[in-house]
Order: sequence, then structure tokens, then C-alpha cells
Amino acid sequence: MNRKDKKVRPNPLRTRLCGIIVLAILLFVVAFVSSMIGVVNYFFTDVVSMIEALFHSDGSMGMDYAIFWNIRMPRTVLSVLVGAALSVSGAAYQSVFRNPLTDPYILGVSSGASLGAAIAILLGWDNGIIGIGTMALTVGLVTVLLIYKIASIGNRMHTATLLLTGVCFTFLITAIVSFLMVLNQDKMERIIFWTMGSFASASWGDVLVALPFVVLGILITLYYSRDLNLLLVGSETAKTLGVDVEKVKKRLLFVTTLMVAFAVSTCGVIGFVGLIVPHCIRLVVGADNRLVIPYSIFVGGIFLLLCDSIARMVLMPSELPVGSITALVGSPMFIYLLYKSKKQL
Amino acid sequence: MTMIEVRNLSYAYGKNKILDNVTFDVEEGNFCAIMGSNGTGKTTLLKCLSNILPVPKGTVFINKKDSVDYSVNEMARTVALVPQHALLDFEFSAFETVLMGRNPYQKRLQNESQEDWDIVEACMKRTNTWHLRFASPAKMSGGEMQRVMLARALAQQTPIMLLDEPFSNLDISHQFEIIAMLREICENEKKTILLIVHDLNMALRYCKTLLLLHNHSVVFNGKIEEGLNPLNIKKYFGVDASIQNINGKMNIVYN
Repeated sequence: MNRKDKKVRPNPLRTRLCGIIVLAILLFVVAFVSSMIGVVNYFFTDVVSMIEALFHSDGSMGMDYAIFWNIRMPRTVLSVLVGAALSVSGAAYQSVFRNPLTDPYILGVSSGASLGAAIAILLGWDNGIIGIGTMALTVGLVTVLLIYKIASIGNRMHTATLLLTGVCFTFLITAIVSFLMVLNQDKMERIIFWTMGSFASASWGDVLVALPFVVLGILITLYYSRDLNLLLVGSETAKTLGVDVEKVKKRLLFVTTLMVAFAVSTCGVIGFVGLIVPHCIRLVVGADNRLVIPYSIFVGGIFLLLCDSIARMVLMPSELPVGSITALVGSPMFIYLLYKSKKQL
Repeated sequence: MTMIEVRNLSYAYGKNKILDNVTFDVEEGNFCAIMGSNGTGKTTLLKCLSNILPVPKGTVFINKKDSVDYSVNEMARTVALVPQHALLDFEFSAFETVLMGRNPYQKRLQNESQEDWDIVEACMKRTNTWHLRFASPAKMSGGEMQRVMLARALAQQTPIMLLDEPFSNLDISHQFEIIAMLREICENEKKTILLIVHDLNMALRYCKTLLLLHNHSVVFNGKIEEGLNPLNIKKYFGVDASIQNINGKMNIVYN
């Protein structure tokens, strides 16, 4: 067997493991550095001693200890979780809709979820985050199903129809949310939070709510990652190659929307993460979803954590919405991809 | 043994009737040409046979079993379909594309086995595409793409193969090479092959039987030499032709 033959027979498992170990270490380093920076800056030794203090706590909670463990750490963990959820959903949407230009934000699913959250607040169901999450999920699912129905012509997804439907839905939902805000000015600030996206109020409670849904969603998407490859080649072909197309699509759209809804209900609408991250990964490892999905977990986490760190560093002590940072990176990327694929439109 | 049985199958897209009360049998090891003018339902028929389009219970039997009772995976291990139009806008290499043909045999979260690799290699060599294994289908010519699709169908190792105009983009030498290979597969491996083809001479020389569709119904199902006579050619294809014996081979000559 010559060298070229070896290249055509990679060991996906080994490639995956190596890449994931490298990315996991990188994630840890970024999380460590990010937790040092803020209104109060810590040094390397401070962070180490605070991690030590967690295990050898004498009961007395210092101010630094409280800032580090109750404000900064949940924020770090939540941004990693949300980044992973949005990236994996983006990768899955791109395969299910057979369109490189989709992600939960562009299709309006994130906005739909934010509308659900706003409705929950107005109805007074905002005591527990579960109420907000459930409403976010309901409206998010309705949005994704409507888009799917409208944009599928026969058995093909038409790129222009899909994107235009997404844009229209986003406008419609934004309009409804603005309308709700004007009618309920007393709750305006809380609703604005959901339309902009921020980790500023992240707590361990948010992490606990999002964690099970994100983990479940990622595991199920991983389980179907080979089916996603086949869906990318077309629904009919996937069916003749043994994929139960309708069942797989429904399940994946449900779990990814579930992840998005609970991510949105903890931190609001953050755009473009699901678009940029899978694309950057594909540029390096190719289109195989058995690599793209697991890498998306880590790269998405690292990316959103970095964006959040930038968002809180640039204008310290005040903060930028994290969505504005991701949009700053994401919009040019989206325009570039649109330009590249304009032949399809 | 009868591999495919179709009983009173009708199919319509909305009000547009595509197949009207179609009934026929195909025996095991047959190499059957499906012919007929454009829009007469040939492609729809193949989609009905491979469960891409839903058919009513009791109309299509594959290997003596009602096609409604097949799971998607079981169908993928029984019937392979080479589509007319392959989609080109994705970024898998030709090798990965052919490897997808092994999907019905792989368990979830499992990597490809050495056996899968070997089957893919053999199928690609057989369709003369092994040299293209690193190439992206988006950069291939139409004919190369069709051969890759054929390799993928072969990798499915199914007893039945359905091919929808697999030669439309092939040069003449590859047409002969591929159709001869298909005939050989029928003879040696007892595979049942249904082929939509427009070239009358090619079909006459290599196929065993003819399934002739006209106005959404079957008008002839039998030996191809009997079906492709000047009368039928005039009646169903609208062309004046005669059959001539040139060097011991039957040829259809258009007048």
C-alpha cells in the first residue's frame, strides 16, 4: 500500500480523538485565561489558589472567591455550552436543509424562541426558567416547521426561498417582539435582553437548566452524524441508501431546536455562531459530519467564550452585547459565503 | 424466480396521472430495458419500485415480499437506484461518495471495516473510476459522475439494480464498457437489472427483455428481439425503421 492509499483510508476515530484532545486542551486554556480577565483582574496564581480553595474551603467566602465562582465561572461554562449548542445545531441545519447558508439565527428559529420567551414573561410564567424555555421551544418549533413546509418545493429545498422565508420570519418576529415591548413598557428591559443576547446575568441556575438539553441534543446529533452526511447528498438518494429520511429529519430538527430554545432562554439571541463555526471546521477537515459535529462542540465553545470575553473587555466596565461581536465576525463571513454560492441562487 | 411483481400500480402527482394500472413481472437474472417516449412514467416507475415514492399495499412485490413491508434499510440492501440527475453541489470525494453505498450494512457509530474499503475499491475499479477517488464530484464531468454513481450502487451489493438513463452523459466507449459490464453482472451474479435507455440498438444488443411504456401503461413486456420490431418502433417511437443483419448482429436502421 503506497502513501496515497493510506490517505484515502483514514481512521476517522483516531483523527477525531487527536483533534478533540487538542481542542479540549485549547478550550481549557481559553477558559482559564478568560476567567482571569474582568472588572477585577486576577493573575494565574490567583486562579489556581481559587480552584484550590474550592476543594479545601474553610467556610469563609472571600469577595474574590464569590466573584470567581458565582459570577465568572457560570458565565464561562454557559457561554461554552451555548456556543456548542448553536454550532452543532448550525451544522445539523445545514445538512438537513441541504444549504450551507442556514443556521438557527438566519432561519429565524432563534428569534422565534426569543418571542416565546417574551410571551412567557408577559404571561407571568417567568418564575422558573423552565416556563420560559418551554415557551421558547414551542414558538421555535412552530417557526422551524413553517419554514420547512414553505421552503420545500417537491423534494428539494430552494436556497432563495429558504433564505427569504427565514428573513421574513425574522422581521415578522422582531416586529411582534417590538410591539409587545411597547405595549408592556414596564417589562421592556427584560424583553430587550432576549433580543440582544448577553451572558452578563449568567448563573449556575442557567447552566443547570441548559446543560441536560444541550448534552442530550449533542448526543442525538452525534448519533445521526452519518445520516446527516447522506442527507447532504439529497433526500431521495439518502432514502435509497438506507436512511429513514423523514424520521431522521424530524428528530434532528426537534432536538436541535430544543437546544437552541434552551440556549436562547438563558442568554438571548446570539447570531451567526452556527454559521461560522461549522464552515471554518469544514474548511479544515472536509464535509464529513462525523468530524464536523464533534469538532463543532469544542470550536463553538471556544469561539463564543472568546467573543464573550471581548464583549466584556472592550469598554470595561460597561459591556457590549455578545451578539454584536459574533455579528461583527459573522456578517462578513455570511456575505462572503453568499457571494461564493451565488450561482445556486 | 420472479424478483419484481407489479400489480395494477397507478401513480399520480396531484391530478397528473403518471402510471395507469401498470402490471408486469421481472424474473431473477433478467436484464430488462425500460423504454418509451419522454414523460411516459419510466422514472416514476423506478421510484415506485425503490420505495422513494409511496405505493399502496399489494401493488409492488420485491423478492416475493410486499414493498410496503420493507424497512428503509432492508430496501437499501435489496434495491439500488442510480438516479438520472446526480446532485453535484457537495464536497465529498468520489471515494467517500461510493463508500456511502455501504451505509445500509454499517451499524451506527461504527467505522468502516476493511471489507467496506475493499468492496468500494473493487467497485470503483470495475467502473473505471478508481483514479478519480480523491476528486470532488463537483469537479468531475457528467460521465465521470455517472460512473461514480454506478460504483456506489454496485457497492450496495443488492440483488436488484435500477438504473435511470445511466449512459446519458457517457462517451460511446464507456457506454459499451458499462452496458457490457451490467450484462456480465446479470449472467454471473444473477442480479436483476432494470435499465431506462433510449438507444434502441444498445438495448437490442445487450438487454434480454423489453418493458415498453406508452401513455403511462405497459404495452409490451417480453423478449427484446420481439418487442423492437419495425411496427412497434413506428407505433410507439414514431420513427420509420427496419431491422438489418450486419455481420451476424441485428441492427436497427432508421429510414
